[in-house]
Amino acid sequence: MSASPLRQVVPSPLARRDPTVKLALLTLVSLVALLVLDPVTPAVLYGLALVGVAVATRAPARTLLLAHVPFVAFAAGVLVVNALSRSGTLLAAAGPLVVTREGLALGVALAARTLLVGVLALGFVLSTDGVALMTSLHQHARLGPRVTYAVLAGYRMLEEMPREWTLLQHAHAVRAPLRRDGRPALGPRHHLGVVFGLLVVSLRKGERMAQALESRGLGLAPRTTWRPVPLTRGDAVLVVAVLAPLAAVLATSAALGLLEGPGTLTR
Amino acid sequence: MSRDGAAGGATVPAAPAGSAAAGPAPTRAWALKDLVLVVVLGVVFGFAYWALVQAWNGLALLMGPAGDLAQHLLLGGWLLVAPVAVAIVRRPFAGVVAEVLAAVVEFAFLGSPVGPLLLVAAVLQGAGSELPFALTRYRRFGWGVFAVSGLLGAALVFFWSAFRSGWYGQDLFALRLGLQVLSGLVLGGLLARVLVRAVVRTGVVENYAIGRAGGLR
Repeated sequence: MSASPLRQVVPSPLARRDPTVKLALLTLVSLVALLVLDPVTPAVLYGLALVGVAVATRAPARTLLLAHVPFVAFAAGVLVVNALSRSGTLLAAAGPLVVTREGLALGVALAARTLLVGVLALGFVLSTDGVALMTSLHQHARLGPRVTYAVLAGYRMLEEMPREWTLLQHAHAVRAPLRRDGRPALGPRHHLGVVFGLLVVSLRKGERMAQALESRGLGLAPRTTWRPVPLTRGDAVLVVAVLAPLAAVLATSAALGLLEGPGTLTR
Repeated sequence: MSRDGAAGGATVPAAPAGSAAAGPAPTRAWALKDLVLVVVLGVVFGFAYWALVQAWNGLALLMGPAGDLAQHLLLGGWLLVAPVAVAIVRRPFAGVVAEVLAAVVEFAFLGSPVGPLLLVAAVLQGAGSELPFALTRYRRFGWGVFAVSGLLGAALVFFWSAFRSGWYGQDLFALRLGLQVLSGLVLGGLLARVLVRAVVRTGVVENYAIGRAGGLR
């Protein structure tokens, strides 16, 4: 738990792009992917996205691989459950377990979509600093100053949270019953206590923060922005670099007759 | 605290959205204190979920495909933040805002691989969880209202999750719905009331609507 939940952003071509643009593209691709339910199209898109993210974030292969673990596990679960729990043409059977062709195809489609969105979300997080994101949203997405600064305050709190967690953990460990080897017994109850302590401490800190922000007159007058981030030609290039391959893959897939929509679910 | 952001600079954003004129803020607008409280809830729950997911991933790997089902049992935990926020702040949309902020923390800051579509789920969860409180005009906070809140939160988001994860047409559809609604009722409803009561006892929410109302009544 001592590791920070926030990833360090390293300089890369994608890190120089505007966070609002990246967020909009990520949302758009996720929405489009939601409507694609054949196995081939999302798999191809995932391959392209993986290469794109690797190149644009310059992330080492190890980082990418490790970050894949959670959503690969999830995708594998989705694949197996769908393959086993749908009616259709029989592919294989072992006792009560029956694998159908339709189930397998849909399982692959959903697993590939999980991977696609997962790797794109990873690219976003690897290349986007939280403060830069909020500044950009304030400037380009017209997010109100009060919300912006409240979330920024929350972001700072999140940065300090692992330290706070360790502190509370130690405080609880002092009073915890000892095991036979003399070390404190830290069970689930102990962890719940720490989480609750974290909540209470944070709530109190939040009230003080709000008072500090209010005493500085936040939200009373139009604000100026320190170091405004302009949208540049690079951002336009990014938009094209994401949307052109997406459109090309969808068009090719449709032309080949592979593309299928949500209708597959009820078949 | 982000102090540098307040320094003078070059451009004025076009829309001073939501800014109140001089004098006391109109009662409709959110007090900054309430807004920060909801953000704090989002951050703490976001962090706790992150920790939970770390633990969960290991378990899911061990359980294999059964993990997909077992996950439903924990669903209610994701609903917790909305009723807690509503009970403390007692403002319309507090639940929705809390869920949305928790989702933003989860995907934009903590890097949840679900991506921005987590926001859609968050809005549905928040709306479902908040509806029972809204129907009592944010005046009643008994066990029943909390239970219905968890139940509705789980039920409303279920149909979106089912579409996103392709549960329609599966043999397990009814089982999934049952598990999720049950989990929502217990973890996302009743547990929320237990948590709020415990928080009230610590005294940290004395200066919020719940404190003025004299606790959970």
